Amino acid sequence: MSDLTDGELKIFIGAVTHYFEQLTREPATIRAAYLANGASPHFDYTGLITVSGRYRGCVYFSTSGDALRALLAEFSEPDRQEENLLDAVGEIANTIAGNTRKHFGKDLEISAPVTIRGVPEQIKSAVCARPFAIQLAWSKHDAVVVVDLALAG
Amino acid sequence: MKLMIVDDSNIIRSRIARVCLQAPLHGLEIIGLARNGNEAVNVCVRKVPDLVTMDLTMPGMNGLECISALLALAPNLRILVVSALSDKATAIEALKRGAHGFLHKPFTDARLASALLELMDEPEANHVRSDRR
Repeated sequence: MSDLTDGELKIFIGAVTHYFEQLTREPATIRAAYLANGASPHFDYTGLITVSGRYRGCVYFSTSGDALRALLAEFSEPDRQEENLLDAVGEIANTIAGNTRKHFGKDLEISAPVTIRGVPEQIKSAVCARPFAIQLAWSKHDAVVVVDLALAG
Repeated sequence: MKLMIVDDSNIIRSRIARVCLQAPLHGLEIIGLARNGNEAVNVCVRKVPDLVTMDLTMPGMNGLECISALLALAPNLRILVVSALSDKATAIEALKRGAHGFLHKPFTDARLASALLELMDEPEANHVRSDRR
């Protein structure tokens, strides 16, 4: 189970919806928010933020290449090759995690993003047996944000 | 005026550069792109910009450290922090180190343009701050 309260988990949902509201003409729809059981949900591209400080663990954003290409088109980014897909997924993860510091402050020290194509091996060292997963849809594309945090010490 | 863009994200650097090509900002000349604080210091040693957009969460020298390092080299630099870190303490820390403004990610092109225009129009007398470290 997560060490975060319901209110704190909602901060992450708010950060996700805020991201898409600010940057795209289509808001994201939260399809489900639940404690994941078994393998952590993910898509082809994942941006992972390591968390230290009062909490330890990670926050990651994962989605498909098609979703990232659509997002890059929203930003008028002409280069939608692999390198920029990875860059985009990392930047989204960084922005969502960073925005939650409005609530958590420096209790949530966040790393620069690590980006992964394919199965994210790093996530196997998860800190919670059942991390919090937020499934969302944006412009016909699916994505997930996973919050895997526990109190340090 | 000369601008340096400091951000570890290629798409953010490109996006800021594209916004600078648009009408209200077309007087800005981009003289350097840097992926972290160390690269930014190296650029600044070779060619001093007037304005800098500065990410905070970067590998190597982070943005807060970089603000201090750049202002030690060029005290009249005007620095706009562009970061996802949205806690008040971080913004205060950046301003204490000498940054002139703070724009939160995610940002719209219009907000970025407005923040840069504000920085470009800031009178010279406001640049050197007594609370710089």
